[in-house]
This record gives sequence, structure tokens and C-alpha cells, in this order.
Amino acid sequence: MVSENRAGLTIAIPKGALYADAAARLKSAGIELPADPGRNLSVTAGDGTRVLLLRPIDVPAYVEFGAADCGIVGADVLWETERQFCELSDLGFGACRLVVAARKADRYHEGAQLPTFLRVATKFEKTAESYFAERDLPVQIIKLHGSVELSPLVGLADLIVDLVASGSTMRAHDLVVVDEIATSSARFVVNPVRFRVKYAAIMALLGRLDPALAGA
Amino acid sequence: MRLPAGTRDWLPAELRRKRAVENALRGVFERWAYAEAQTPSFERFDVLETGIGETLADKLFLFNDRRGTQLALRPEMTTPIARLVSTRMREAPLPLRLSYVQPTYRYEEPQEGRMREFTQAGLELIGAESAHADAECLFTAVEALDVLGLDDALFDINHSAVIDGVLSTLGLNVAQAAICKGLISDRNIVALRAELNGMGREQHADAVVRLAMMRGRFEVLEAVRPYCTSDTSRAGITRLELLLTRAADLGYEGRISIDLSLLRDFSYYTGFIFEGFVGEAGFSLCGGGRYDELLPHFGLDAGAVGWSAGVERLLLALERRHSNRFGEAPAIDVLVSGSDVIAARERAAGRTVRIDFDRQSEATLLALARAQRIPRLVIARGGEIREFDVTW
Repeated sequence: MVSENRAGLTIAIPKGALYADAAARLKSAGIELPADPGRNLSVTAGDGTRVLLLRPIDVPAYVEFGAADCGIVGADVLWETERQFCELSDLGFGACRLVVAARKADRYHEGAQLPTFLRVATKFEKTAESYFAERDLPVQIIKLHGSVELSPLVGLADLIVDLVASGSTMRAHDLVVVDEIATSSARFVVNPVRFRVKYAAIMALLGRLDPALAGA
Repeated sequence: MRLPAGTRDWLPAELRRKRAVENALRGVFERWAYAEAQTPSFERFDVLETGIGETLADKLFLFNDRRGTQLALRPEMTTPIARLVSTRMREAPLPLRLSYVQPTYRYEEPQEGRMREFTQAGLELIGAESAHADAECLFTAVEALDVLGLDDALFDINHSAVIDGVLSTLGLNVAQAAICKGLISDRNIVALRAELNGMGREQHADAVVRLAMMRGRFEVLEAVRPYCTSDTSRAGITRLELLLTRAADLGYEGRISIDLSLLRDFSYYTGFIFEGFVGEAGFSLCGGGRYDELLPHFGLDAGAVGWSAGVERLLLALERRHSNRFGEAPAIDVLVSGSDVIAARERAAGRTVRIDFDRQSEATLLALARAQRIPRLVIARGGEIREFDVTW
């Protein structure tokens, strides 16, 4: 039989912006992680739980293929994958908004006519595509991997679709929000088969990560 | 020289394993008195359209014959079997027990456990509406995985009327209930809670979320019972109770759980639903349930229950488990050189014969037999017959 103990769990968590909050939440669930993951790829906690430290964008693959039973990942990363997960909890931290933004001078936020063929720069190709498709707007999506806010300033794009946390980066570049597409925060996701096979262990962990669901 | 996406070749050793698995499943079907049937790989599109849900309709390989009749490769076996039963087997006494092991085709994004051509092995129990028919359906599947050596496979069961009962007790309309069922089925708890709040059901969100995450036995039924006010949902609970009780008699209680979020394609299933899986594979190995509305679409007033397994998925699970139960090459019993008559006699005796048609030397043939693990060698040269026992 597949064992049903907590020690058997493997959890994928993102390094980077979400790490500190994720580690704090896991600590409250009794899983101690170093304050700085450094160059560690994985850590085995005192109770035998294995924690994989991954690039945020890689968390879904590890969970989908069962290399990890469950994981913590931003909703913004989930939008860009077509993978199937049980999305069990909104952990609340890492909150940010996905917005359409433009140069303030273009006045799109005040209703100025958009160009007939839009060039949109973004890291969020799929989400942006479906947002504009739903509005029947013909667009050219330009996939970028960083510094998206630069693209309208140098004439690469008319609009950008990007994450905003405090909004200070946007203000610094004279960009304004034209529309909000979605809000993101950290999610606790589980491989659907592992949810069943390791049900007791996963529910115990979930109850500690998200006290609102305790006893569920 | 590339293969079309989502297809594969089966080399002899691979095909041997596949055939062994298929035959083991056939053995289970036969022992439960199911007779194997076969239908064409393609059907008229209108026939398939009658039987399959929208999800599958989007995944059909469609084509026309030269007269312009629209055809499609079958994406599953239940609809072709339903067509067969409602036409040529219309007069057969019910209940009817049919099984199949056949290739099926879906236009999917190929990935592990999901190919565009894959083999379905399964059975249909037609014209039996009772809970005992549901039990037979489930237990045949448990036995099928058992004979393959997957005797720790877990089975989740549910009844589609139960969650319908919960959502209608909450006063949700059909469209709202469909949205919630989709999210419960995906176990997307975050979005489910948001939708329920948006539908003005904040006060029930916690309860629905709790039910959607529950997995267990009788305690799950007790938890959901207060939310089931309709007769159909109560009847669903009663059926699940019977299944748990009968499963316990067979010693399956540790392997069968109630999972209220297991909904499969709910445009299709009308009652009992189940799935079987093992920890090594990230996909279900087999699944099925009751589909009482399908045969009436074909003009036959009969309920039915059935399941199918993906043979390639079973092979993947066995491979993950490093199970070589089905890896044995068939032994060659004897190597014959120089006599068709002797070779024919050996085959008639039921032995597997390899023939040397190059009339090689005794030393060469002995070396060959040793290398190939063939325990006997017969050499006929000009009326003289010499026989050797080969050891290695």
C-alpha cells in the first residue's frame, strides 16, 4: 500500500518573491526552512517532508507530473499553464494585479481611441491573448521575458499586460493602468491523483496552511 | 519518415506485454460471463454524435467518404456498443453482458498517458438498473486491476444525483449548478468559493467546499445526507451505501472511497460513477459508471452501466512499478534443421519450433540454441536424425 503519512509528502515552492511568505507559512505548519534558500535545490524538513525549491514557473510541471505531491505557486503562473490541478486554497500572500497599462501621454486610460491593430508586450502570452480575443480586438502579442514596462516607452508596443504590486514601477515610467484583468495571490495546488492517494497527509497540511479550511 | 503525432509503433517485446495485459483483462471479462464484441473503427458521425458528450465531440477525427457521408473514428467504445445493442442485438435477452478490447481515437494534445490512438478495454452491462449492477461494474474493475498485479489500486466512487441534490437544495439554477459542478469536478476550491459568494450563497460556501474535499466512507455519506432533500439524491446515497457494504464483504473496504467531487463527464453519466488509480500514475487507469439515458437515444428503453480502462495507461503504471509480470518472451521449445516433417510433428504437439533453413553445422546450431535458450535441437541429414538436449 502507498503510505499515508505526512513524512512522505513532497512540496514544491517557488524561490524568489514568494519564498519568504511561503517559508513562513510552512513554518507555521511545522516545516522549518532556511531563511535564505541559497543554492539549495531541495530541503528535507525535520518531520521528513521534502521541499523542492524551484523557479516559480517550474512549480506546475513538478506538481502535474507528480515529482511533487503539491505546491505553492502564484495564480499568475497558473494562468499561463494548461495543466490540471486541485487548487485547494488561496493563501492570500503575494497579492498583485494583472493589468493592461499604457503610457500616460497616450491617454488610453481616459478613453482615447486605440490603434486599429494593437501591439501588446507581455510575459503573460496566453492570458493576454484571451483577454483581447474576448473583446474582438486584433492584436500582435509580443512575448517578452523581463522589463516589459520599457516596451511602450521605446515604441515596441502600444500596451503592456503586466503584474503590478505597489504600482511604483509603473509610476516611475509614466505608465497608467487602462484595465485590470485579474488579481493574483499564492495558491496551494495539489496533483489530483496524489490528493486521493495521500489524502490524510494533504488535508493535514492544508488545515495548517489555511486555518479557514481546518477540519474540512 | 515520421509517425503522426500521438501514435506509436509496438515493437515485439512491447506488443507482447500489451497482448498479455489485454488477455489478462479478457480472462476477467470471461469469468464474469461477458462476451467480447467488436465494431468498426469508424462510424457515421451522426451515430457517434448521438452518444458522446460535447467534450468528446470536439476531439473527433472527422472525415468524409466519397459520397460525402460524414464519418468519424470512434473516440470511445460505449456508443458503438450502444448502437450495436439497439440494432442487431435488439432482441437479445437482458441483461446483456458485453466486453471489448479495441483501439479508439481522440484528437488530443499528446502527452504521457494520452495518445491519439489508444486501446480501450472494458465492459457494458445493459438492461440492469439495480444497485447490484453498479456493484458488478465496480467489482469487475477491481478484479481486472488485481489480475494485473495492481492490487493496491484505489477506487473512488460517487453518484451524480448526490451533488445535484446538494446544489438544488441550495436553490441554484441549472446554469449556476453546472458552473459549480465543473469547479467541484476540477476541485478548484478557490474558484468554487468565489462563485458561490458571487451567487449569493456565502452562508453555504464553507459547507460545499467541505463536501467537495471530503474523501472517506460512510462518514462522507452522513455528512452530505442533510443536504440531500430530493428523492433522487437520497436514492443515490442509498446506492452508495450498498456499494460500500458489499465492497467490505469482499475485503475491498480499504480501497474504495466515496469522493463527492468525482463527476466525470456529467452530461453523460446519470448515476453511479467511479475511477480507479494508483499513486505511480498521474492519471486514472480506469473509470465508468451508469448511463441510463444513452440507449433510449438509440430507441432502446434500457439502462446500462459500464467501464473502460486505457490499456496503454495500465502498461505505463506497470512499467513505473517495474513489474515484469508480463515481460516474459515466449520460449522456443525446439530448433529443427533439415526436416519439414519433424518440424510439423513438433508444432502439431503444441511446441514452438524455430527452423534452420541454412543447414548449418552441428556446432553452429548448438551455439545458436544455447545463445537463444532453446532446450532441444533436432538435426536431420540424409535420413539420419540426431537429437540434442541443450543446456546453458
